[in-house]
Amino acid sequence: MSIKINDLEYTYSPGTPFEHQALKGVNLEIPEGKVTAIIGQTGSGKSTLVQHLNALLKPTKGSVEIAGFQITPDTKLKDAKMLRKKVGLVFQFPEYQLFEETIAKDIAFGPKNFGISEEETNQRIKEVLPLVGLDESYLERSPFELSGGQKRRVAIAGILVQDPEVLVLDEPAAGLDPQSAKEMMNLFMRLNQQAGKTILLVSHDMEHVLEYCDEVIVLADGQVKTQLPVHEFFKHPEILREIHINPPGIVNLKETLQNKGFQINPDTYSLDELAKEVESQVAGHE
Amino acid sequence: MNNIALGRYLPMNSLVNQMDPRAKISILFILMIAIFIPAGFWGYVPIVAFILLALYLSKLSLSFAMRSLKPMMLMMVFLLVINVLVMHTGTLLISWGWFKVYSDALVQTAYIVIRLTLMIILCTILTATTKPLDLTLGIEKLLKPFEKIGLPAHVIAMMISIALRFIPTLIDETNRIMNAQASRGVDMQNGTFKEKISAVLSLIVPLFVSAFDRADQLANAMEARGYDPSRPRTRYKTLKMTSIDYIGLALAFLVLAIDIAIAWL
Repeated sequence: MSIKINDLEYTYSPGTPFEHQALKGVNLEIPEGKVTAIIGQTGSGKSTLVQHLNALLKPTKGSVEIAGFQITPDTKLKDAKMLRKKVGLVFQFPEYQLFEETIAKDIAFGPKNFGISEEETNQRIKEVLPLVGLDESYLERSPFELSGGQKRRVAIAGILVQDPEVLVLDEPAAGLDPQSAKEMMNLFMRLNQQAGKTILLVSHDMEHVLEYCDEVIVLADGQVKTQLPVHEFFKHPEILREIHINPPGIVNLKETLQNKGFQINPDTYSLDELAKEVESQVAGHE
Repeated sequence: MNNIALGRYLPMNSLVNQMDPRAKISILFILMIAIFIPAGFWGYVPIVAFILLALYLSKLSLSFAMRSLKPMMLMMVFLLVINVLVMHTGTLLISWGWFKVYSDALVQTAYIVIRLTLMIILCTILTATTKPLDLTLGIEKLLKPFEKIGLPAHVIAMMISIALRFIPTLIDETNRIMNAQASRGVDMQNGTFKEKISAVLSLIVPLFVSAFDRADQLANAMEARGYDPSRPRTRYKTLKMTSIDYIGLALAFLVLAIDIAIAWL
């Protein structure tokens, strides 16, 4: 079932001098089983939108339909608890949420809260660890003696162990070196392709968006600016420039070549194909 | 978390905003003394008058000042209970078996509540009209004379300003971690005692870890830029007392003098 967001509005601190409307009527339908990117400038309402997906925030107006739940302004948070199991939210720098003495206990924290049995939890931990690139020798160690990158893997394992249907990732690769960032993104792609998880990715990294995502949603000033399939979206780099985000390198290159008079197929997004097109046109001239 | 009125600076362009922080801190200090002078209920009249004038001149609403009292409500109720249980002087007002309420208990509680309320409102006016950095600069300048007897005025001011600077950061951090743990099924409101303990731990431990991390980074950043608390420093901002400041101080002394007079007569 796809995620439906109807006319969603959210206001922070209503009725105080700090009142601020972060979402101003958002309408979205996010397809199931796909990887969808949410992009926008700081303050565009991305985080506020994301926090509605597992009912951390309740709409001021409008509704969110997700994973069989409907969240409206009248929803009781008590009833939404199991929604949080089905929608896993990975915040930016999740390594800061670790707190238990051992990694095993920390990963098991979520399942324990959701009332999953210990046996099942242990079974799931064994499944999840290799996914994030750790082995069982880590289980009895303290999370605080790990490196930053390893801590993040543990934190993500702590969400994956809940076996969520929808994964919402807020800049999961921020601050990682390029190699680890790639491994991290590949992990999420495997979850999407093999386990069919719906993935929502909040990112500023357009290279990642182009490489991994199926669809792009652009938020600006609390409203949806565009929602397009990824290859369609990157044919309009001017949308990105409007929100002061740099298009991916390949898109910039295509544009430069076009300005120099080359005929470039708008559907080309690989460097090799681009090189072939240029080669054939140069050859034709000689 | 974002509704805390106590200790929050409001950027407004009022007369009190423009005052010298040294004058404002001194006025607060003088009025604190006046509040604690045992001048009876009449003694609070000039203080309340001064506070109302200050609220008016700082363009703050009475409801804003009242909001800053909210966190203290529980403590005031607690005080009332303790006083009723402990004080057994004055006239007997209520008697239900062993449960007896004497008039002195109520009077005593009223005094404490009035004193607390007045002090909190005064502090709220100070922090709402003074930028935290100006406040610490004021404290540093006022403590300067005590450096001769070995009081590290600059170090104290630096510690206060760092602490103030990190309050909003820590509040943000707390919200972030609460959200992260709530996403892992933590329920801060409901649950058994044991579950609540584990919920609090899941918040406190990461909060401390990140606070220590930040402290470490800040110390390194300061050292990397050659910070040395013992060196003399110059200031971009210099403080200057104007006539409003002197008028304010004079009024505060007048209030103090009236209270001393009432207490003596």
